Amino acid sequence: MITLTMADDKDVLRDVWFGRIPTCFTLNPDEVTEREAEAYYLLLPRVSYLPVVTDKVKKHFLKVMRAEDVEEMWFEYEGTPLKWHYPIGVLFDLHASNTVLPWNITVHFKNFPDQDLLHCLSNSIVEAHFMSSIKEADALKHKSQVVNDMQKKDHKQLWMGLQNDKFDQFWAMNRKLMEYPTEDGGFRYIPFRIYQLFAHSFLPYVLPLFFPSVLFFLSFILSILLLFPASVVSNHKSLVSFGTRILIRSKNSDELNLKNYGIFI
Amino acid sequence: IWSGAKSPTLCCVLDEEQFRLSCQLLLQRSDQLGDGWSWEAVQGSEEGYLRKTALRSVPSDWGPLHDQKGFTASTGSDFLRAEEEDDGSYTVTNSSSLVLQYEYHILFSCSYGAPVLYFRAFTLEGRSLALEEMWSTIHPNYRLCFQNCPLNAISQQEHPLLGQPFFFFHPCRTEEFMGPVLQAAPDQGRPVNYVLSWLSVVGPVVGLDVPLQYCTALHSTKPD
Repeated sequence: MITLTMADDKDVLRDVWFGRIPTCFTLNPDEVTEREAEAYYLLLPRVSYLPVVTDKVKKHFLKVMRAEDVEEMWFEYEGTPLKWHYPIGVLFDLHASNTVLPWNITVHFKNFPDQDLLHCLSNSIVEAHFMSSIKEADALKHKSQVVNDMQKKDHKQLWMGLQNDKFDQFWAMNRKLMEYPTEDGGFRYIPFRIYQLFAHSFLPYVLPLFFPSVLFFLSFILSILLLFPASVVSNHKSLVSFGTRILIRSKNSDELNLKNYGIFI
Repeated sequence: IWSGAKSPTLCCVLDEEQFRLSCQLLLQRSDQLGDGWSWEAVQGSEEGYLRKTALRSVPSDWGPLHDQKGFTASTGSDFLRAEEEDDGSYTVTNSSSLVLQYEYHILFSCSYGAPVLYFRAFTLEGRSLALEEMWSTIHPNYRLCFQNCPLNAISQQEHPLLGQPFFFFHPCRTEEFMGPVLQAAPDQGRPVNYVLSWLSVVGPVVGLDVPLQYCTALHSTKPD
C-alpha cells in the first residue's frame, strides 16, 4: 500500500510554491501617454494569478497616463491575450517556455478583448474563480466532503494565503484537501487539468483508481502534483508540469498507454 | 450518501449517458411545444449540449443597468419601483423595460455529475452584458438568496467547449436541491427527468421559464 505524508514532500512543496518567472512588462505602444513609459520588471509567482500580483505594474504605467485613457488592464504575449484565470506558471509554460528569459509581456489599457478574456475588475473575482476550482477538485477527490466541512473562514484563509504569498497559511488549510486516507480508499478520482494551445477543450481529466497498474502512475503523479487542481501543460505531445517535462514510464516494460486512462494529449 | 437506485433516473448523481437521455427527452417535448431548444454536438463525438436563444424583457428598475456608460434605456419615462416589504422581500410594479438577447447552454459536468447552465446576454445593439449588469437582470428576491456570496452562485467562466466567456451557475449545490426531488419520486410513481427538474429550479433565476406543459408528456413517453 502506498502511503504518502505531506511532511516528506515539504521541500518539494516549498520549491513549487516559491517558483518564480522573471518578467518584463512593456506598455503597448498604441496607448496614449503623456511621456514615454519605462519597462517594469517583476518576479511572478508560478502558482498565483496575474490580477493578484500586478498592482505595481498598473501603478507604474498609470503614472504616465491620464485617467480618461485608462480602462480595464489586460496582458498580451506576442499577440495573444493572456487568460488571467490560468495560473501564471501555466501561461508561461504554454506560451513562452522555449524562449529566453525574461518573459516579455505587453500591457494594455484599452480595447479589452471581451470575446477572449474574462473580465476581472477586482480580486474577489479571482478569489471566486480560485475557490470554484478548489471545489471542483474536491468534488472529484472527496465528493466535496472536505471542502464543504471547512468553514467559510478556512476558505478565506486558503485564498488569503495564496493572495499574500504565505506558504504556511495556505498549507495549513490545503493539507486538509490533500488528505489521502488509505483506509477510506483515498481519493475517489485524481483531478488534474491538461491545457493545450489552440484547443478550446478544457475538461478536467479524470483518472479512475480501480486499475492496479495505476498505482505506480498514481504515486508518480501524486509526487509531482502538489497543488490541486495541478496544472499540466501539453506542448507538442509532451507533458510539462510546473516547468518540468514529465517522462511517463510504466512499472512493466510496456509503455504506459495514456489513452487507456482517458488522457488525451 | 444515497442508497442504490431502482431506476436509472433515481441516482442522485447523473452520469453522462443519463444526461444525454434526459436531454433527448427534453428536446422531444421542446419540439412539440416549439420551445426552441436544440442539441449542439461536439464534432465527431456523442458529446454535446442543449442550446436555446430567447429575447427577454427586463424591467428597468432592478439595478444599475441603466447607469452604465453607453447603455441606453428603451424608454425614458415611468421607471418602476422595487419596493422593499417588511419581510425584506421586494415587490416590483409595472414600468418600462429593456429587451435583451439571451443565449442558454446546458452542459454536463463530470466533476459534479450534474448539468450546468451557461448563459450570456446581449443588448439589441450587440453589446454583451458585464457581470454587474447581469446581476441587475435578476429579480431582487432571487438576489436576496445570493447576497452573502453572489460570486459563488453566478460568475463568469470560460465555456468548456467553446472557450468564450459565459456566465455560469455554479453546480456545487445542485445535489442538495435535486436530492429531495429524486427521493420523493418513487413515492409519487413518476419518473424524474433530472435535467428538466433541475432546469425548472435554476432557469427562472436567469429569465429562462420552463412551461408546465413539459411535464405532461413524461407520462406518455416513459414506461412505469
